Amino acid sequence: MALPLPPGLTPPEIAFLCEMELVTVIPRQRLEGLDLLGGPTPTLIPPHRSNIPLWFALLLKRQRRANIAPPPWLHPTSLAAILQFETEKSTDAFSPPPRLPPSADGSNTTSPPFLPFSVVDAAADALPYHWLELGEILLEAAPDDFEEPDQVRRLMRDLREVRMAKLRAGVDVLDAGGGFKMNGVGGMEVAEGRAFIGGVIDGLRKIGASREQQRRDREREERENGYTATTDDDDDDQMDM
Amino acid sequence: MGSYYDIDAILTDAQKVPCTFELTVPGLGYIDGNIGGDMKQGSKVELPLWLGEMLAISQNLSTSSLVTLDLPSALSPRVLNALKADSRTVDLRALAPYFYNLGARILELYEEEEMVEVLSEAFKLRAAVIADQAHNPRGALGDGADFLRGLDENERQLFRAAHDSAKSVRSWIAEMTKK
Repeated sequence: MALPLPPGLTPPEIAFLCEMELVTVIPRQRLEGLDLLGGPTPTLIPPHRSNIPLWFALLLKRQRRANIAPPPWLHPTSLAAILQFETEKSTDAFSPPPRLPPSADGSNTTSPPFLPFSVVDAAADALPYHWLELGEILLEAAPDDFEEPDQVRRLMRDLREVRMAKLRAGVDVLDAGGGFKMNGVGGMEVAEGRAFIGGVIDGLRKIGASREQQRRDREREERENGYTATTDDDDDDQMDM
Repeated sequence: MGSYYDIDAILTDAQKVPCTFELTVPGLGYIDGNIGGDMKQGSKVELPLWLGEMLAISQNLSTSSLVTLDLPSALSPRVLNALKADSRTVDLRALAPYFYNLGARILELYEEEEMVEVLSEAFKLRAAVIADQAHNPRGALGDGADFLRGLDENERQLFRAAHDSAKSVRSWIAEMTKK
């Protein structure tokens, strides 16, 4: 029977994954490098900035051993610019995700959280995959490291509203077998929209099941009568099953 | 189709559809409230979908089937026209608690290209409103109450899903702030 948990990740699980993102800290105390399972951490020498995983940064912040430097896209001006882009320039699509760093052979398979999108020298004009989680965590754990935490908080809330409204409006283009372009959508937003969007597609598929069945029967008949269906249709059949 | 234990599928099958008996059946009059009498040929009875379907598609010794299945009133042209005009004002729950499931089952028996279109469009349009209502904290109490009361069972699940996922994100943020 069905699993008790809904499919997909829950918000705490996504926040847990987000804690692997690298952030920049300004240490207040010297700390030798640690050999952790996830790799060695750099030696922290005040006042040199270093990039360490978020969970480690939060720990040091809580012990008052370091300050966290918020990523540039969490600055009020960049958030306001992104918000303006979302509301005025691209009213149906999400703002584009940060550009991937160029790789030597052109086949870059690295994805967040293994890309340094949230360190202090990341791009300021794009929201990374974990923007919502990271922003909320930093605002909660290190509000004193922001210049204007209240304004950042307000802009984050506005951005979230705008983007969730877009996600909901995307239902219009949904189809039983169709795709849905969600470039630039964040991890937490996927979690929030998954149950609803999946439900809509399931419902549409249920309604359209008889038509789908007829189409398949017709194609099979055509094939048996000697017409050769295009290979394209064959692929479709495989997908729909 | 759904699992054997799927309550929604069972309840869908229990919805009544109008059937017309093509043969006179002795002793079956009790279905129509005529205890002890015969079921006359041509009499119209409301039968559960599972029974009506079985009787309609079963080909017994004679060539004609026992009953013919008519379109349930919930899927009549009048309702489809109303859905085409403005699907948001139709009270689907009053028509059939499992409106879309009933539609899907009927579509298995009838070939109605247009009905698929109308139902899909209505479902999509209403889903957008459902999402807005689910994210609106006053939705269930304010002006959306009438609309929400008219949701069919599928749409209610959709509403719950949208509402729950928004709530879980909100509660994650709230829990983090508490610590």
